[in-house]
Amino acid sequence: MTERAEQRDERAALAPREVREMPYLRAIPRPTPWPIITAFGVTFMFAAIVTNIFVVVVGAAFALVGVIGWFREVFPHENVEAIPVADCETPLPPPEFAPRPEKTKRNVVPERIHPYRSGVKGAIAGAIAMAVVAVGWGLFDAGSLWLPVNLLAGTVLPSIGEATEAQLMAFNGTWFATSVGLHVSLSLAVGMVFVVSLPMMPRRPLLAGGLIAPVIWTGIAWATLRIVNPTLEDYISWPWFLGSQVAFGLACGFVISRATMVPLKVGWSLEQRMGVERSEGGEP
Amino acid sequence: MTTLPANQDAGVRLRSPLSRAKVGMACLIFMESAIFSAFLVTYLYYIGKSPDGPQPLECLELDLVLINSACLISSSFTVVIAVRALARGAMGAFRFWLALTILLGLEFLVGTGYEWWGLIEDKGLTLQSNAFGTNFYSLVGLHAFHVIVGMLILVIVLILSMFGCIRPDRDHQRVDIATWYWHFVDVVWILVFTLVYIVGRVPQGAPAS
Amino acid sequence: MRWAISVDHKKLALMYIGAGLCFFLVAGLEAAFMRLQLARAENDVIDPETFNQLFTMHGTTMVFLVGMPILLGFGNYLIPLMVGARDMAFPRLNAFGFWLFIFGGLLLYFSYLGADGLYGAGTAPDVGWFAYAPLTSRTFSRGNSTDYWILGIMVSGFGSMTTAINFIATILCMRCPGMTLMRMPMIGWMMLVVAFLVLVAIPILTGAQVMLLLDRTLGAHFFDPETQGSAILWQHLFWFFGHPEVYILILPAFGFVSEIMPTFSRKVLFGYPLMVAATVGIGFISLGVWAHHMFVVGLGPVLDSFFGATTFLISVPTGIKIFNWLGTMWGGRLHFTTPMLFVTGFVAMFVIGGLTGIMLATVPLTWQLSDSYFVVGHFHYVLFGGTVFGIFGAIFYWFPKATGRMLDERLGKWTFWLLFIGFTLTFMPMHVSGALGMPRRIYTYEADRGWEIWNLISSIGVPVQMAGVAIFLWNAIKSLRSGPVAGDDPWDAWTLEWSTTSPPPEWNFDRIPTCTSARPLWDRKNPEDPDAYYE
Repeated sequence: MTERAEQRDERAALAPREVREMPYLRAIPRPTPWPIITAFGVTFMFAAIVTNIFVVVVGAAFALVGVIGWFREVFPHENVEAIPVADCETPLPPPEFAPRPEKTKRNVVPERIHPYRSGVKGAIAGAIAMAVVAVGWGLFDAGSLWLPVNLLAGTVLPSIGEATEAQLMAFNGTWFATSVGLHVSLSLAVGMVFVVSLPMMPRRPLLAGGLIAPVIWTGIAWATLRIVNPTLEDYISWPWFLGSQVAFGLACGFVISRATMVPLKVGWSLEQRMGVERSEGGEP
Repeated sequence: MTTLPANQDAGVRLRSPLSRAKVGMACLIFMESAIFSAFLVTYLYYIGKSPDGPQPLECLELDLVLINSACLISSSFTVVIAVRALARGAMGAFRFWLALTILLGLEFLVGTGYEWWGLIEDKGLTLQSNAFGTNFYSLVGLHAFHVIVGMLILVIVLILSMFGCIRPDRDHQRVDIATWYWHFVDVVWILVFTLVYIVGRVPQGAPAS
Repeated sequence: MRWAISVDHKKLALMYIGAGLCFFLVAGLEAAFMRLQLARAENDVIDPETFNQLFTMHGTTMVFLVGMPILLGFGNYLIPLMVGARDMAFPRLNAFGFWLFIFGGLLLYFSYLGADGLYGAGTAPDVGWFAYAPLTSRTFSRGNSTDYWILGIMVSGFGSMTTAINFIATILCMRCPGMTLMRMPMIGWMMLVVAFLVLVAIPILTGAQVMLLLDRTLGAHFFDPETQGSAILWQHLFWFFGHPEVYILILPAFGFVSEIMPTFSRKVLFGYPLMVAATVGIGFISLGVWAHHMFVVGLGPVLDSFFGATTFLISVPTGIKIFNWLGTMWGGRLHFTTPMLFVTGFVAMFVIGGLTGIMLATVPLTWQLSDSYFVVGHFHYVLFGGTVFGIFGAIFYWFPKATGRMLDERLGKWTFWLLFIGFTLTFMPMHVSGALGMPRRIYTYEADRGWEIWNLISSIGVPVQMAGVAIFLWNAIKSLRSGPVAGDDPWDAWTLEWSTTSPPPEWNFDRIPTCTSARPLWDRKNPEDPDAYYE
């Protein structure tokens, strides 16, 4: 067979399927030039502003003719073309399904996750561990318990950038409240990220969450902080910073990975979700 | 072979409860509201920031515009009566109330034109005179343009019904949806009126010179 | 002629996509000229006036005449087929919208011949795609090239709005029996939110453009500071449109990824309800982030912090999507066909663009980097690495459905790798040159600033990308003529468009299908283990 003949056969295969008997009609909107004429007229009406004001007359004429034609196309009845087809207008009924199989072909992963509760618990543990390290830095290295607290508040309160060193060392109610709020909300957010992402980590989730993530984060912070917040950068001690991050990661990751994993509810039937029915393979 | 609970609701609902004409008109109105909001916000932004030239307090008088507004707002009620009449099949009443609606709309347009004429001739307020003039004419003008479009729709419906092309059973839904646009024009006018004639009539700060 | 009067959503969609690709070539050439000029320091291939016109037309074309029409075209093609409808809700309005877009685009490009600007006749707009006041005032923009910009965009904007109305009406009213909103393909949700954003955002732009037109033709005082106007107001109005516009351009691409990725991972889309919630969330939050384009204007610390915070906030639903796609791929049987390569590339590139976006949401950082090449790099990662990669993925995925023939896989992989490498070469160095202080929109620069090597690399990437696009065009032409016949369902996919013939008949389905789950075609192919049991 020549290439051309091959192509012809292929084209024939592409044509809409031929059906011998076509007893039904399918109504589809008849092609109509009025929309394009209307669009042309509308464009010309606007183009008059940049060309000649008489262009608006031409445009309006086209638009008017187009709109009238268009209106007659849909009023009182839509102008349709009837195409003979083989099938009737009623919808295709749904297929008949077999009873629910024991084992599904559906590929559902992850099957088991850490419960979100454990993320909150982990966040609390991590927050405490981090605060202990940070306060430790404040007491032993920087000389004031309040310095880390005030510096953290400085990430959202720009006025702290102008504070004197004495002010930074002293207790300030607003700054303290800001700092605590920030610490709690950020810890919760990171805790939730941990609980979602830990089951996806290929091996040794504790290593990833407790060491690798803090090191990466510290690296990013180290590289960008001098641009974002120079004041904070003046005071910060990077070893202690890294230490506090690792403390958070280890504590949070440890608490989460200790939690019992629960099966993911994707792929459960409504009855199973509500706890009315338990399938044999689903629940441990 | 078993059938599913999922199949049972599947076969039943053949048509969506929403008609596409209604959704389309609602979307159109939503879109127009967005255009108006751009102009309304701009008007709000410029209130009190136009120290030179004619001022809103001395230019805008409430008596004429109150009559205009009354006409426009009441036309919303007359058009509802017209559609009710059409639904009943009372074509004469339908035409009467529809014509009354158009007349009320026409009064609004003529009244606005008269007000503008006075502003231009007596007060010297034009589009170019200051930021107040710019905003006043563009916002009120945009609304007047929509009143014209809405009136065109109503006039077409009226003409069609004169020629007997409107049939109550077949078309009252369509006419009803077409009148949504008219209600929209009215509602927008309430906003424009509030902003221009109530909120906006404040002293404009000290003259710059 | 049959095409000009057609009201069939599939024909209109193909015309949308074809016209968008033509404009894509034009805009690509404009960009290539700019890169040619910037390849060396103190180059003089192109004079400054032409350069201004090039970046203006490139930006305007890519946003309004390439991105939007192609994405709306895909919406047009796919929505009725995917929700099991015979056509769009308003087929004639659909044709009207398409022709408005075409005529608007032609009007914009007619400015190259017809507009008399500052430099005589035949002057294209040169005010930048966001046309800041007072550059657009009569003082600085003589003649009517800016009016061409206003009118061209306005007319095609009317087209987009009518199409958006059509999308909403189709999705809400025309779904087949059994297709509840939560069984709708993800792309349906994306297009619904896009249509909503179009209806909110584009009218604001139209309104602002009407004001600008009044300023320029009738002497009104909206935006010109010389006459009591406010230049900041234009920025607010423009970006209130401009930021939702970014999501208008990216959400459909999210939809493509959400359809293509499950098919080639042989897995259900991970976290469908969360994905819907994230999409709707993005739709709403995107209306409240616009002033992050204006951090250097001096809005004051309160507004700056607010818009910085909302911008951080919007990265949360976006991040959810990224994780859902990763979750979809994870543990799946991955088939790296060309469409899958493109959407995987999309996710990678979009993550980079998203991360630089989060960096730019930080106010102090933006004070340093605003209007630098860093910003150019950022938004090209989002819009080229994101949207355009998504579009190419979609073209490779749905080409068999629209034409009945497969695209060549080998050439397709060449296209992907050339585009990917060329893209990285061009846009990755822009982050560096931007951080080194190179402002955007300069037509040349001095030699001793350390920018040369980065600009040279950027320019070298251009021919690589052009080769990729050329191979794609060759592939498309060749496959149209003699590609292997696709059959109804070449990818073994699960959504309804694959249940009809390729190409589909004008009435789409012989019988309207009935939907039993989010993967209706899976249920039909696997009645022994249907999805319907698991929803």
